[in-house]
Amino acid sequence: MRKADEQGFREFAAANAASLRRTAYLFCGDWHTAEDLMQSSLMKMYMAWKRIKDLDNLIAYARKVLLRTWLDEKRRPWRRAEQRDGELPDAADATVDPDTTSAKLWARELVHTALLQVPPRQRAVLVLRYFEDLSVAEVAVAMGCTEGTVKSQTARGLATLRTIVEKLDSSSGRVAS
Amino acid sequence: MSEQEIREGMLLAVWDEPPLDFDPDTLIKRVEQKKSRRRALVGVGVATAVIAVASFALPGLLPRDRGGQLASEGQTTSSTAPSEPAEKKAQRIGDKLAEKLALTMTNFKEVYAALRPNGFSYPPNLTSTAPRKPSDPELSGYVFLTDHIGPTSLRVQGMKGQFSTKDFCSSAVVCRNVQQNDGTTVIEAEFNEGGTEIARSEVVRQFPSGYYVTISSHNYNPASSSGLRQTVPVRVEVLTTLVTDPSIDWE
Repeated sequence: MRKADEQGFREFAAANAASLRRTAYLFCGDWHTAEDLMQSSLMKMYMAWKRIKDLDNLIAYARKVLLRTWLDEKRRPWRRAEQRDGELPDAADATVDPDTTSAKLWARELVHTALLQVPPRQRAVLVLRYFEDLSVAEVAVAMGCTEGTVKSQTARGLATLRTIVEKLDSSSGRVAS
Repeated sequence: MSEQEIREGMLLAVWDEPPLDFDPDTLIKRVEQKKSRRRALVGVGVATAVIAVASFALPGLLPRDRGGQLASEGQTTSSTAPSEPAEKKAQRIGDKLAEKLALTMTNFKEVYAALRPNGFSYPPNLTSTAPRKPSDPELSGYVFLTDHIGPTSLRVQGMKGQFSTKDFCSSAVVCRNVQQNDGTTVIEAEFNEGGTEIARSEVVRQFPSGYYVTISSHNYNPASSSGLRQTVPVRVEVLTTLVTDPSIDWE
């Protein structure tokens, strides 16, 4: 690869790595896996950089690659899922505002518990629509499906998520809004 | 749970993301290593395929059976070996005869011989393909010469078998046996064939093995059955000199 192209990829990767990792985290619910997915996606893009470097919306292409990489990873029968038997307690942070802490914890529980119970493709639609703030058309391009499928998957995903959150709220005493 | 709450919840979920330790150069290096590994793997695969194909293809291209080939070569050599010395021997005898005749009869010009194993068909340069009969001579041919009259030849034959001196001499004007020191016998004879001049001079050298050589001179060219002349170009004394030349190994 030419030095100029390599430099172009280097700049793109450095600018979008964090964003891609966050999206990957919402897909898989684990920061380490998210980093692996992000790096795998960027490696694929590097190998195809000569062909894709002139695309209009490179970040949309990167999201598409990330989504495919994650779905491929989930489909592999020999995939090694990490066996978790608990989480280490976080150390207390004195600088944190107690009012926002409960909201953040609830949000984390939303991802770790509720969102991960939503089927993968519905979860992907929800993340792209509400986290990446993409339009239905853009999600359809990223998912490689029709806009109607995106809408139906969004509706089903929201319904599934609401059901799970209601269950979580009723068990934890929080009132679902 | 509204869509806005989901949106906010997702944004809040990533608030405690760990610091990103990402280096594009490391990633590029990993990709290049992966590429080189893949190239090496493809290279090994191609090399293996080439070796596999070559191992199947080469036996078809190389000689199939070296032993069989050697055997056939041996057969060829053994089949041609006996004929090669016979040809050379006939040629060598012819050369010697021509040389001796040229030395003895210095007035002869263009003296040369054409001898070959087995029967000599007419014309002399024609290659005979007929199967050899037991009565055929083992050596035959002509010694060509040109004297003051013109071109003619002497007939030469060598063969094994019964030779009757009585029959040979029955119509001869002169016929005599000359015993040689080496155990062979030379019979000299001259024939006039009913005429006044000698029409045929002939010498026969008999070997103890039963092999005998005949050299004859005629009042015509025996090689072409033409060129009739009054008498023979060479008399029996010269023919005896030729047939008894010690440098010629007839057998």
